[in-house]
Amino acid sequence: MGKQGFDGPIERVTPYSWRIPRRYREGMRVDGIIYADQRLIAGLKADQAPEQVANVAHLPGIQVASLAMPDIHWGYGFPIGGVCATDPDEGGVISPGGVGYDINCGVRLVRSSLTEADVRPHLKQLVNALFEQIPTGVGRSGSYRFERDELRRLMADGVPYLRRRGLVTEHDLEHTEARGRLDGAEPRWVSDRALDRGADQCGTLGSGNHFLEVQVVDEIVDAEAAAVMGLRLGQVCVMIHSGSRGLGYQVCDDALTTLRGVPERYGIQLPDRQLACAPVNSPAGERYIGAMRAAANFAWCNRQLLMWQAREVFADVFGRSWATLDMQLIYDVAHNIAKFEEHVVNGQNKGVWVHRKGATRAFPPGHPEVPAAYQAIGQPVIIPGDMGRASWVLVGQPGSMAHTFGTTCHGAGRALSRTAAVKRAEGRRIDTELEKSGIIARARSWKGLAEEQPDAYKDVDVVVDVVHQAGLSKRVARMRPIGVIKG
Amino acid sequence: MCAEGPAQLHPTLPPVTGAPPMYETFEHTADLGLRARAATLDELFAAMARALTATLVEDAAAIQPRETVRLRLDGDDLGYLLFDWLNELLYRFDAQGWLCADFTVRVASDGLDAEIRGEPVDPNRHRLDHEVKAITYHGLTVARTPDGWLAEVIVDI
Repeated sequence: MGKQGFDGPIERVTPYSWRIPRRYREGMRVDGIIYADQRLIAGLKADQAPEQVANVAHLPGIQVASLAMPDIHWGYGFPIGGVCATDPDEGGVISPGGVGYDINCGVRLVRSSLTEADVRPHLKQLVNALFEQIPTGVGRSGSYRFERDELRRLMADGVPYLRRRGLVTEHDLEHTEARGRLDGAEPRWVSDRALDRGADQCGTLGSGNHFLEVQVVDEIVDAEAAAVMGLRLGQVCVMIHSGSRGLGYQVCDDALTTLRGVPERYGIQLPDRQLACAPVNSPAGERYIGAMRAAANFAWCNRQLLMWQAREVFADVFGRSWATLDMQLIYDVAHNIAKFEEHVVNGQNKGVWVHRKGATRAFPPGHPEVPAAYQAIGQPVIIPGDMGRASWVLVGQPGSMAHTFGTTCHGAGRALSRTAAVKRAEGRRIDTELEKSGIIARARSWKGLAEEQPDAYKDVDVVVDVVHQAGLSKRVARMRPIGVIKG
Repeated sequence: MCAEGPAQLHPTLPPVTGAPPMYETFEHTADLGLRARAATLDELFAAMARALTATLVEDAAAIQPRETVRLRLDGDDLGYLLFDWLNELLYRFDAQGWLCADFTVRVASDGLDAEIRGEPVDPNRHRLDHEVKAITYHGLTVARTPDGWLAEVIVDI
């Protein structure tokens, strides 16, 4: 695979969306639509991400268009930032590549009653304590133990399972997408290998782009929505980005092995083996869906346990209970997932499988799946940026239902490859540079920080501006990091 | 498919004693590409295994061949066989905490037999590096070249 750019046709549709027409390649069933503005589109053509948007348009049963968000970048099979909805009644498929290895990778945001002034004097101690207590990086075991049968129940029941251990509150459940539990999870279809990999990883952060950050709200754009979420200027929050760890990776891997030869059996022609898929209504499709939901439930438990540990560290450092510190969950969203949802397609109500691979659900005000507390403002969307600049909270808007199957972006998107980022960091200390701008960062390795340095990412403000202008979601508040822990 | 992306010799890897470095990493935006060239398929599969190990751990030379494990993998598609081989090594690392130092591989038309030598992870001696989530099928290549074989795989980081 070379890294040559995309030289196929890209036509401007609106100032914020671009079309790869269906005629570009034989076999495309729908157009590709990429959300981007003039600033982003040139960069997008530099690699093969647009080609991957065109590849996804080949999937049977795909509805409307193969969509991509402005943080799109080159993935494997699907682009990161890709969205695809398929209709099972039209032979629609489910594709593990449209979810990714890290099933239900996602983000949660926790508020607090602390201000930056309260935290600054203790920041180093706080970040060190978070880094010591919360397992990060490769090969670190979690603090919570689950026997095999417990793991299976946890995958079936999701976050509510953690009630018996006193590690979740009703408020937490209400403020988690799908209340932290997808129905129809089938732990019996999760392999022993997946259980082996996940056995000691529930409540661990992992590596790569996963992080836990201490952040300060530095801009409020929508005062009403911010007030509903309990956000105000200068307030300290915690953002957590992680997923289903080795268990989810193995579920995806197992599914791709099971799917070898399956597309051919159903007469499905694919331009990339990583797009392997099966009809939703087929034994292989149903099996993957059951296992994927089990892994998604595991991931929500993982983020719940990460949050719980962070609450305990804050309570320890500040000498008050986490409840006194008002460390309430604002929301938790999945950004690597496939879900069966109702959408209006060409004026008709349809049940479709929405694949979000590095894309976030963004339901508007009044949608039945939006928690009661947020009915008036829309579903909170949490967009992590990079460790040097900013992250955002948005809310879903009606435009997402009209154009993107209720979806918006998921992050800044990478601008540099890992090797290029390491090269750019040669002879530098990223942690020292960050500290000079007031950010304490701890990571297991120099290379980990080098690969994840701020310059490796696009400017999240630009990405968020596009989804805001396109009416997919609305800006509420911007947060800047002051403490970072990484794998 | 053949690679055309900019290649970079792995910056942290000393050459394997007595043998030229036969593998390298190549760029992929969010992830990492591993590429190897070798005269024979047996050497190619061993070189790709070394490339994976060097992604998992910073100092591959510190892994000692204390234990020997024999493996048999069936398959007649070279691409899938390479995938299964690397996947097996990744599983042993991620689920069992086991690192491989040294590989002898024999690739045949119906699968491969391998002898892998390594040891359990010891945090005092092994500095772990990337968390490889998975081996991917995207751009998976095992191909004949004028002077031997070429393999490429992208791993999800």
